[in-house]
Amino acid sequence: MSQVSMQQLQEYAADSNGKVSTPRKGEMFIEIDQAHIMGFISHVVNDLRIRLLSTITGLDLGQNFGIIYNFSHEDQKIQVKTTLPKNQPTTVSIVEIVPGAILYEMEIHDLFGITFTGNPWINLKLLLPDNWPADLPPPLLKSSKPAEIRKRLHLEVERKNE
Amino acid sequence: MSDESKRREESAGLMEYSVENLVPFGPIHPALKEPEYFKLILEGEKIVQVIPRIGYVHRGLEKAAEQRPWMQNMYMFERTCGICSFVHSLCYGQAVEELTVFQVPRRAKFIRLIVAELERIHSHLLWVGLMGHWAGFETLFMWVWNDRELVLDIVEAISGNRVHKSMNTLCGVRRDMPEGMEDRIVERMKYIVDRAHYYREIIDTEETMLARTEKVGNKISQETAQKLCAVGPMARFVGLRQDVRLNDPYAAYDEVPFDLVTRTEGDVRSLLRLRLDELIVSANMISYAVKHLPDGPFRVRIPNIIPAGEHSSHCEAPRGEIFYYVKSNGGKIPDRVKSRQPTMANIPAALELLKGQNLADLPMVLTAIDPCFGCMDRMSFFDTESHRQWAWSGEQLRQYGIKHYFPDRISAAPALKIGEAH
Repeated sequence: MSQVSMQQLQEYAADSNGKVSTPRKGEMFIEIDQAHIMGFISHVVNDLRIRLLSTITGLDLGQNFGIIYNFSHEDQKIQVKTTLPKNQPTTVSIVEIVPGAILYEMEIHDLFGITFTGNPWINLKLLLPDNWPADLPPPLLKSSKPAEIRKRLHLEVERKNE
Repeated sequence: MSDESKRREESAGLMEYSVENLVPFGPIHPALKEPEYFKLILEGEKIVQVIPRIGYVHRGLEKAAEQRPWMQNMYMFERTCGICSFVHSLCYGQAVEELTVFQVPRRAKFIRLIVAELERIHSHLLWVGLMGHWAGFETLFMWVWNDRELVLDIVEAISGNRVHKSMNTLCGVRRDMPEGMEDRIVERMKYIVDRAHYYREIIDTEETMLARTEKVGNKISQETAQKLCAVGPMARFVGLRQDVRLNDPYAAYDEVPFDLVTRTEGDVRSLLRLRLDELIVSANMISYAVKHLPDGPFRVRIPNIIPAGEHSSHCEAPRGEIFYYVKSNGGKIPDRVKSRQPTMANIPAALELLKGQNLADLPMVLTAIDPCFGCMDRMSFFDTESHRQWAWSGEQLRQYGIKHYFPDRISAAPALKIGEAH
């Protein structure tokens, strides 16, 4: 990635009160406040032409949820990080800017229970079974235990030879 | 008046063209290798919209990874896919290795390249065979899968396994290259290249293949492919120069010369040509890497505690970019592992490719993206007259079946849980 666009990326991050860190060569973490995320990603995609969104990663950080937008551009991996409180797990969808993000947002909605406003398919299930109980916490939360999921979904299999 | 009812009124008398039909495709369907469900909305014979529902073989690997040691996870993630297994462990391994202070030996990097490229050849051959099968050209299927066996023999000689190679380990590979393999590999690769040239001739001249592949698939532009974040062959077949091996070299890709193959036609046949060309490139890379294999150690032993930090890694799998994100708390097990497979990234582009196509072309177009999905019960009903839609669970379906065949029974007995006595 050229020096110019790297500088511009840092300028955009500074405009949005972002923290930039480069722990190792070829990788860049940019922490952005949730309110500025739409504007910043719009700069990244439309102005800097960083088009390939590899995926969106959800994280359970205890009190908060973390969301990482993983962009790949030439030999750089640009990771835009944001956090949102667990008691209000709603954020804005980036489908308008990056149409390819639609399934990644659905996946996070299934596995973490985060809602993305503006995603047309957000209420359709993508990964979880249709009989997933509404009161069961989403599976990738640290509080969700595999034994509990198996019990509630009647997936326990009797082991006869034990 | 809503758009829907207005449109229906305008097209009165042309009912068969105006009514949108919903065709459930899958989860179990002869044209699919694996269970996946697509809700197809048709107008006449043309596909208008496709809504995917994946996850039928979702096994919760990301959750399972949070309860297993770092090394075990490597072999678990290898089981993500039964075709491109090696590249998953490679990508996960690279993400973890970056968190440690250890370096992968140069010889291990070359061995990783050789196995990864052998895997690409076997995956592409498998796919070309399947395309022949769906096009109704069984001979091609038989020929190609016979050649694939030659590649699998080499994989078995190197790693001891045909599909799940279990070759990788953290900071190295588990086995050295066997001695005296060089000539055998070079000879076989030469044969594979000859065969690939022959198959290219077939797909350019054989009428069955031409009819089923030429100008099939809604042509997508470079702009659309970029917008939908298509990866791998799905990006390269519209002319995008997108390949992790070239853009961000890993393993020994910076030391082995290769050409990037791109095409511009944007139909199913260009995908066939592209993959056959890639196969030739891969075969040449393997021959080069075997001849220039450096001496030295092939693995470094590392402690089973990984320092705290987070890192992501991407590799070029046969189907496109594969992505792993790893977060460590400094313990024996990972805090979070995220894996993204190329098929997931390519679904939005595949849905675009399907729009406006005939229903009959669906298997060809869907197979063209080389889907590999990673389930539950569901039956969908759609009343075309009232546009009412509902779904039954397995239990409701069971009750319906019992009532249908035994109408005298007032109520069917409740389902027995496994392990419950009568």
